[in-house]
Amino acid sequence: MTMISRRGRLALMAGLAIGSLVLSGCGSDMNSSSKPSDDGKVAGKITFQTWNLKNDKFTSYFNTLIAAFEKAHPGTDIKWVDQPAEGYQDKLSADAAAGSLPDVIDMGPESAYTLGQAGVLLNLEKDDPGARKLYLDKAWEAMTFKKLGGTYGYPWYLNTGPSFFNTALFKKCGLDPKHLPETFDELFDQAEIMGKNCKDTPMMARMPSIELFGAYGVPLMNSAGTKFTYNDAKGVELVEHFRKLYAGKALTKEALNNLQTKELETFKAGRLGYMGGSSYTLDDLKATAPNVYKTLGIGPAITNGAPNTYMESLVVNAGSKHKTLAKAFARYVTNPANQLAFGKKASVFPSTVGSMDDPYFTKDDGQPSTKVRLQSAAQVKKAVVYWPAAFSGGADQDTLREQLALAVIGKKSVKDALDTSVKFSNDRLASQR
Amino acid sequence: MTLTAQRTETPRRTGRSARRVRHGLATHRWPLAPWLFLLPALAAVVLMVLLPFVNTLGISFTDATLLRGGQFVGWENFRQMFADERFSTALLNSTLYTLCVVPFMVVLPLILATLVSRAERLAGFFRTTMYLPVIMSPVVVGLIWTNMLDQRGLVNEVLGTLHAVTEPVPFLSDRWLLLFSAMFVTIWTGLGYYMIVYLAALVNIDRSLYDAAAVDGAGVVRTFLSITVPGVRSTMALISVLSSVAAFRVFGEIYVLTGGTGGVGGGDITMTMLIQREGTGLQARTGYASAISVFMFVIVGGMLLVQLIMQRKQRTS
Repeated sequence: MTMISRRGRLALMAGLAIGSLVLSGCGSDMNSSSKPSDDGKVAGKITFQTWNLKNDKFTSYFNTLIAAFEKAHPGTDIKWVDQPAEGYQDKLSADAAAGSLPDVIDMGPESAYTLGQAGVLLNLEKDDPGARKLYLDKAWEAMTFKKLGGTYGYPWYLNTGPSFFNTALFKKCGLDPKHLPETFDELFDQAEIMGKNCKDTPMMARMPSIELFGAYGVPLMNSAGTKFTYNDAKGVELVEHFRKLYAGKALTKEALNNLQTKELETFKAGRLGYMGGSSYTLDDLKATAPNVYKTLGIGPAITNGAPNTYMESLVVNAGSKHKTLAKAFARYVTNPANQLAFGKKASVFPSTVGSMDDPYFTKDDGQPSTKVRLQSAAQVKKAVVYWPAAFSGGADQDTLREQLALAVIGKKSVKDALDTSVKFSNDRLASQR
Repeated sequence: MTLTAQRTETPRRTGRSARRVRHGLATHRWPLAPWLFLLPALAAVVLMVLLPFVNTLGISFTDATLLRGGQFVGWENFRQMFADERFSTALLNSTLYTLCVVPFMVVLPLILATLVSRAERLAGFFRTTMYLPVIMSPVVVGLIWTNMLDQRGLVNEVLGTLHAVTEPVPFLSDRWLLLFSAMFVTIWTGLGYYMIVYLAALVNIDRSLYDAAAVDGAGVVRTFLSITVPGVRSTMALISVLSSVAAFRVFGEIYVLTGGTGGVGGGDITMTMLIQREGTGLQARTGYASAISVFMFVIVGGMLLVQLIMQRKQRTS
């Protein structure tokens, strides 16, 4: 037997290099995967993926829900998988890239948009057109992506909430807790006063996010959903308010970099005047910040038009071997009765037609938590999902926050900063086929 | 016995045996045996290093995203990279990080190691104390320092109590202060590790040189500069290489101190953070992130090459 010659070794290395290039194939193409067969029956075994829902509060709800479905549909087996929500996009992308997405997945419109674009989610306009009539129009529309020409998820729950104020700080900083701000103008005016009187405890602790632009009345995208437009005069006007607050020391430099979690932490620590929230936030404040809860002021969500709402959906994997079962299960979890039950359990709101007329969302019993729920329920009826599904919570949101910070500290004009942010998002959108 | 003498004593090999020696690996009866021994390590290197590297190189010339195979776009990603404001910021920050951190990483641990090696009774205590930050998770270290350097953190409280400042120092919101704070954390964390490396090198210095220097009346500084430093020169070179590569790839410290945002206006973003931001998540631009990775590889490789050339020159001279 001869040893491997130098030439042989070189050939081996070259082969490896070429092989790996071929293997890399310049990435995998999700759209090119062959379509799996569907047995057309509500039968078989599927996986249902949720995030942060397997705990003392929700486990029994989902176990009962799944058991009832399996009983009603003999021959079905629903495997419920729950994972921590941290980095859920990375988990989803890894699953999608490996072709191992679960059959039914709990997901927001933004993630559904990206996966829908990659062709891995079922388009309900084609595969379950009858579902539309079950859900509120705004919820269905939030999952309908014009650029992609389809609807990519069954609307699940909606979440909105009032404005929370620290009335103790209002008193301390020369503001009247009986006249809490209800409009953006009032909010900015009172924030200025609070900043002047109390340097360390500002009214706001975060840069405006894309949904705040929406609530302020800034047009976020063109009607075709192909371009972002929040760099118009109204957008500039909103950011100028923040610039003015920063110049008057009513907004700290830390606030320019803060994420929502930091805003909540600061509010809980009693060092922040105002924060938007939800019924869930109220429960959280009651449990973890009792001192702040004692002097909590609650008002309607601040908006120049319709209030904002967030939405969660259930999407179906287009590559599922049991698509009929997956669709039936997703419809079942999001049907009016189950959405109502989940809404009560999780302090969120159903997205199904007629569910919001339930006495749970209309009858006042005088409790503060009921007050918040009723206020939020009334708000949900008028609310809009402002966050455009095409606006990435990662790259786009980071760029927007960074550009706004540069504008607020005066390194750029507001218009330049917004133009840069819009250009970044539009370029990214255009590069996605 | 001199090396020349040793060489002359080695029996000369002739014929087939000499050919085996010349070909190095062919000293066994079965020529494939060495390759079999190497196979596990080789397979690991090929699968874990070579293939991903070649894959990254290939992807850097495409517009691939995580969910979609890309098309060949030539140098477009690299052109875009040089036009990207964030890339210039990241490159500047990573370069500054390397320039500022490496000298401290090379010199401070040596001074510490010299002091610790003299404190014979307390050497164990000092070694453990200095090494403690090394075994701590970078995230834990980052969180400790985030709390310390916060507007209401311990450092500002102490400075305020001493009336050294009238307003809290914005360690975590000012671009440069944050960068220098992160450098400080890196140095604080790395000191112990490199100190241990130096301690091992110090043991190899002939004690008689120190005795001779003492007899000649050399002071502490003179002894340090004339005996200790030349004695650990090769270790210093190794540490400068290791610490510069690590400093250029800084991620954890800045990520935790900025809460994952890259600082106000993204002013503290580093190369690795930019790669992480572009290359992860559902909207990951894998092609673009790979292009930045390839550029970073070239920079780090270049740094290693320069240091290698300098070492060779030093050895020759």
